[in-house]
Amino acid sequence: MRKVLLSALIAAVPATMALAQTAENETVKARRAFYTMLGFEMGGLAAMAQGKVEYDAEAAQAHAADMVTLTGLHTADFYAPGTSKDDLPGETRALPVIWEDMGAFQEKGQAFGAALAELNTAAGGGLDALRPAVGKLGGACKACHDDFRAADF
Amino acid sequence: MSIAENTGRGAAPSGSGDQLWDPVVRVLHWALVIAFAAAWGLGKFGPSQMTLHFYAGYTVAGIVLLRVVWGFVGPRTARFASFVKGPRAVLAYARQMPARKPSNSWGHNPVGALFVVGVLFVLALQVLSGLLADPEDYVNVGPLAQYVSADITRKALALHEPLSTLLLIMVIGHIAAIGFYRRWKGEDLITPMITGRKKG
Repeated sequence: MRKVLLSALIAAVPATMALAQTAENETVKARRAFYTMLGFEMGGLAAMAQGKVEYDAEAAQAHAADMVTLTGLHTADFYAPGTSKDDLPGETRALPVIWEDMGAFQEKGQAFGAALAELNTAAGGGLDALRPAVGKLGGACKACHDDFRAADF
Repeated sequence: MSIAENTGRGAAPSGSGDQLWDPVVRVLHWALVIAFAAAWGLGKFGPSQMTLHFYAGYTVAGIVLLRVVWGFVGPRTARFASFVKGPRAVLAYARQMPARKPSNSWGHNPVGALFVVGVLFVLALQVLSGLLADPEDYVNVGPLAQYVSADITRKALALHEPLSTLLLIMVIGHIAAIGFYRRWKGEDLITPMITGRKKG
């Protein structure tokens, strides 16, 4: 009996570890999906701003509004501890400094939010209004990537 | 001054006049100083919308390209074939480099030649990595990133910053070498790069 219990215990350790690993993998997947969606909407706006796609006020407004909706999600759980590049190499580029300096990271998020609010106002108001607003939001993307995201996995 | 010294390596070979560096080499050199400083500074400290960094980078690309072409068709001191030397010559030069006297090289010395080729190569690599990089901010995307896989755009992005550090080290090494020639070896390398002429 004791042997059975012991082997069950031994078997349970890696099983639990695998489970814990999975929860963190799921967090990373959700986080990357979140940024994929943000990027998808931003890509639509950037294509218009750069003249690759013809400007369409309604579509532009929809892209901006969708980004506003996305950033309205409760994003704290996307940044659960133990989900950095160091924890899960090859799966995420989120640098550990996010968790070490959450305040600075959140400041970048606020700058992004402010630029997005401007874009949301400008998006439907013509190409000339859209272009600088897209540039500013792209700059906010870059500012955060520079400090908090690795260039490669 | 003896005849031997007069006809030594420090003197202009007959037929080449007394011009050490032709105008193309000089203009490209100082244009590179300006374009590289601009690209580097804008990359590190410039605005998040990096349009000016891109223009500075394109300028560096043009300068490197022209210098490589000039290395095949330009006058003697500009041509790779005239200054790129094998390991034996490089070692021989390196061994006597600490001597406290002017090298009197007419053109790039064998060690300097390594730097010239090296810095052109790293600059070309840096230009290429910039053209291919995609920082996923939708405004600072390298113009060639759309033609390659996401894996390559990330590799290019990951290479771009370490290469900028390497280039800074190379520039510091270059300036330090000029200081070493000036102070230790008593040889002025700056004036010829400005006027084209070397004082006899």
